[in-house]
Parts: sequence; C-alpha cells; structure tokens
Amino acid sequence: MDRLHHRIDAGRDALLSACSDAVREGQKVLHIFPEQGGARTAVWRKGQREIEEIEAGTGPYLRPSRSGFPSLRYAEESEFEQAAFEDERAEHTVSGEGMHVVPLGPVRADVAEALRFEMDVLGDEIHGLALRRGYKHRGVAQRMQGAQVGQALEIAERVTGTSTVAHALAFSLAVEDALGLEAGENTSLLRSALAELERLHSHLGDLASLASATGTVVAAADLYRLREAVLRFGAHWTGHRYLRGAIAPGGWRRDLQDVAPELPSFLADIEREFLAVRRALDHTNSFLDRLHGAGRIPAAPLDLVGVVGRSAGSDEDVRWDRPYAWYTELCAGKRPATLATGDAFGRYFVRCEEIGHSIAMLRRSGAVRAKGSALPAAASDGIGYGLVEAPRGRLFYRVALREGCIETCRIRTASSINWVAVPSALANYNILQDFPIIDASFNLCVASLDL
Amino acid sequence: MFYPRWIANLAKGPSALRRRAAVQRGGAVSPKARLFARALAIRHLDAGSCNGCESEIALLGSPVYDLSRFGFSFTPSPRHADLLLITGVVTEAMAPVIRATYDAMPQPKLVVAAGGCAIDGCVFRGAPGVLADLAQIVPVDAYIPGCPPSPDELLDGLLSLVGRSAPAAGEVG
Repeated sequence: MDRLHHRIDAGRDALLSACSDAVREGQKVLHIFPEQGGARTAVWRKGQREIEEIEAGTGPYLRPSRSGFPSLRYAEESEFEQAAFEDERAEHTVSGEGMHVVPLGPVRADVAEALRFEMDVLGDEIHGLALRRGYKHRGVAQRMQGAQVGQALEIAERVTGTSTVAHALAFSLAVEDALGLEAGENTSLLRSALAELERLHSHLGDLASLASATGTVVAAADLYRLREAVLRFGAHWTGHRYLRGAIAPGGWRRDLQDVAPELPSFLADIEREFLAVRRALDHTNSFLDRLHGAGRIPAAPLDLVGVVGRSAGSDEDVRWDRPYAWYTELCAGKRPATLATGDAFGRYFVRCEEIGHSIAMLRRSGAVRAKGSALPAAASDGIGYGLVEAPRGRLFYRVALREGCIETCRIRTASSINWVAVPSALANYNILQDFPIIDASFNLCVASLDL
Repeated sequence: MFYPRWIANLAKGPSALRRRAAVQRGGAVSPKARLFARALAIRHLDAGSCNGCESEIALLGSPVYDLSRFGFSFTPSPRHADLLLITGVVTEAMAPVIRATYDAMPQPKLVVAAGGCAIDGCVFRGAPGVLADLAQIVPVDAYIPGCPPSPDELLDGLLSLVGRSAPAAGEVG
C-alpha cells in the first residue's frame, strides 16, 4: 500500500520549482505522466484553450517531494514512478506520551469506500493522519490500452459511478479532439444539461451524507429523497439512473426521451424543496456549530480544485475557465460560487450555491431531442484532450489513438488532487468526533484516487 | 414539514419492487437464510467499486426505501453482522480483507455479491490486479445483478434471499 503523508509542505512549490524551466507563471499542471522512457507534463493557462505538453526527464522532475506528495504518483504507472519514489518515501511518525494511533478501514463506517485512515490521537485531539491507499486499484489505464473507443468509453463511465457523465464527456471530448470532430449544437446543449443533472444528484448526495454525519436526520432524509427524485428523472430521461450509456464521441449512443414538457416543473419542485431544507439547516445551530471551523484547510501552497478548492479561496472552475459543451452560454453573467473559509461550512455553502446554479443552467439549457448515432470510425491516429468540471472538480483526460484503438489514456481526477488536503485539514485542531463530519464535508471519491 | 411526507412514503411502500433481481443458488430459500427473515444486520464491504453501488446502497436507508422497516439494518462491525454485502471488483489488495471480515462474522452468516463488478468483474474483468471470482475467497449465497443494482433491486434481492416477498403497495413491511 502506498502512504500519503500528513505533511504537505512540499506541495505545489516543490512541484513548480522542479518544473520551473517549463512551467511559467500562471500555468497550472494538469497531469504528469510517463511517456516512452521519460515524463511529460500537461499544462494549461487559466482562461485559454490550448493545453501544452512539456517534455521532462525522468530524474529530478519526479522527485521533488520528500513528503510523498501523492499527485506525482500513480498506481497504474507503478514501475516508472515506484522507481522514482522508492527512496523518497517518508515514514509517518508522531511520538509522545499518550499518543496512540486510531486505525480505521479499509472496511469502515456503514457504507463507505475502501481506504485506510491512521490517525495519531492524543486524547481526543487529532495530531496527524496517514492515508493508506491502493486497495481499490482496478487497473483502469491498463484495461483501456488497446481497447476500441466504444469499450474504453464503457470503462471510463465506470471509473466513478457518481461522475459517469463527467468521465464519459471528458473521454468523448478527448476522442473528438484527437479526431478533429466537432459536436453539434444540440449535442453540446444536451451534454451540459446531463452534466448539470449529474452535479445536482451528486451534490444532493454529498449534502445528505453531511447532514447525516451531523445527526440532522430529518434534513438527511429529505436530501436523500430529493436525490432519489433526481436519479429517477435521469432514468426517465436517459434510461439509466446514473445516466450511463448516453454520451458518446460525436453524438449519442441511444435515443434520449423527450423530457422538455416535464423539465420545468421538475426543476421547480426540486428547487422549492431544496431551498426549504437549506433554510431549515441554515437555522439549525447544532448543524452549523459542527461545521464552522471544522476541517479547515491550512493556508498551504496547494492547487485544490472543485468544491474543495472553491471553498478555500480559489475560483477555478473549468466551466468558466475553459468552457466546453454549452457552457459559454450557460455561464454568461454568472461567477462560480466561492467562499474563502476553507472549512466544512465553506464546502457546505459552495455545494448549496452550486445546486442553485445547476438548476438555473438546466432551466436555461432546456431539453432537446437526441437520436442515437453510431460511434465515429476512428481509423486515424491522434492525441486529444478532454477537460471538464466533474461534480468533484477538474477532470482531465488525455487520449492517444492509434488506428482506432486507444494507445494510452491518462486520467487525472479531482479526488486524486484533493485527497492531499484531507490529512492537513483533519490534523488542524480537530477532535476525533469531528472526523465523520469532516470526511463527509469533503466526500471525496476513493475509486478515482486508486484508479 | 418533513414528517407527513415521510409517513406518506412509508405507507406507499417502494414504488416498483421487482421480483427479478435475485439470482439464487439452487432457487430455493436455504434454511440458513430463512433464519434472518425477521432481522438482518448487514455489513457492507467495498472490494473495488466505482462508488455507484455505494451510492445506491446509501439510498436504502432513505425514506423512499427505508430498509429498517423490514428489520434490516447496517452495522459498522462485522462481529454484529449476519450478512456481508460485497460490491465492486475483487482486487488483490482486498482479497485478504474480505476473508478477514468474513472470518470475523459470527455463524451462521450470509454473503451477497451486489453489482456486475462483484459478480464477474464487469468491464474490469482481466485487468491486472483484479481477481476473477469472489466465490474462491468466500462462499457466496446470492448475486444481485445490475450496474449498479438499483435500491429496488437490492431490496428485492435481500428480501428474496431470506424468503420474504416484496410487500405490495400500501403494506408496511
């Protein structure tokens, strides 16, 4: 098992200084991956379309972090990166009288993903956390190698069940980019609509688990009920509760139901009921007291993404920064929801705001008819990128095609970036009883960490 | 504002319980499974899922499905569990964990594999680090197919495993 260290001091600075020749001011590192004996870095400047790739040697480039900064390490690239990191693996030690380790996982909580937490605890206070990952490594990247586009799409849809649309869309955009295809207007519109429906059910689920972790069971029940309603609407629309098997490179894999007549009233119901739950929660002191200040991300040079990033001062949102599908129109006149507190309340607040945004975007995009179409005959070679804002944050796909098959597929998920912040947020003057609440407030995905 | 709706949902019962979910070994209800017809403590175990199955299982506790009205519950400890509900492909790293969790459960005990991944690996079948068959690690009593199985299907699978039929609309458990 790999180990994430609780110290993150090396973080982005080490990464950037190591790439300082290549990475210029203001550019963001999307992914670092091995390619034919060396490594390559995909970088991107906020607000621009081009994604650049920088050649980088194997040596010091992948060894900046003495603290095991995990964003440089991927299980699927084990041979290459294990070698680079073997001697850098920092051991996690905290010592002192009365200090003990509380192990949790990989079988943990009532229903949760497999991950092991090892918390250093003095009395009730959490002083450190090490995460052991790798229990769920399914070999996604290897499985995709050599697969045909249609097969690889099915795998991409199963990387993270609750972000099916985001993964299918990022993969489709990457394939379209590689083949020089352009999706039609209606297709783009509908893709945005499905992506927002997915964000809606994902955020409702995240808030429901937060409510249940704080013991506000009535709100949790109501949020779960709303989520179920959204899932059922999705099933009615696309034939699958998690919207699988709809999005495909160049078009649609099956006919979608015409939901235009029902959509406005459905959205109005969800919005009204959600606002009622939110109002109730915003007036429940026992709920708010548990969130304010809990799991605060310390000011650290970290590039966090998604809800976690936007609740800690960043305003990065791919929908605004590099609009895809129909987001140029949908985002016009709005700004991403942000808050700079960096605590559990910030994440709660940003999720609530984004639910409002998603509903508004769904309303504006409406629903057009979609007909299923065949996958494009991808007989050519090429490299393409897909960059989308998944419910949990920025999702990057780089697909290399050779004679219609996937040569390599590199995936960088938001959770694999954001998990880095969890140990430092948890060991920031929190007590053991805060753990479930902080964990639920992040609600990161383990499947897309282990890939 | 919340309670009336909750009670209304409870009275209605799950909207579309389907009878096709559970594929049971041998077809008949085993005497062992029948022991748990009135009360069943479930320990969920993620062996390498995409979190779709977890998302559906979490909804079992929601007022729409409310599995507690059947006497079913989730338990954090395998020592209190009657049934091990396994989701996801079986990875090499999780195989010993599955065995240890199973061994920690008191006799008699049941194992259910839920979702396409736990049944045959789904699209990850044959990937490096993914084991072929859950039944080689622990004996499996029932399979609930689906990708992911919906809460309806999960509930129906569990009910038919212990020899109960799904309630008709209006019947409360």
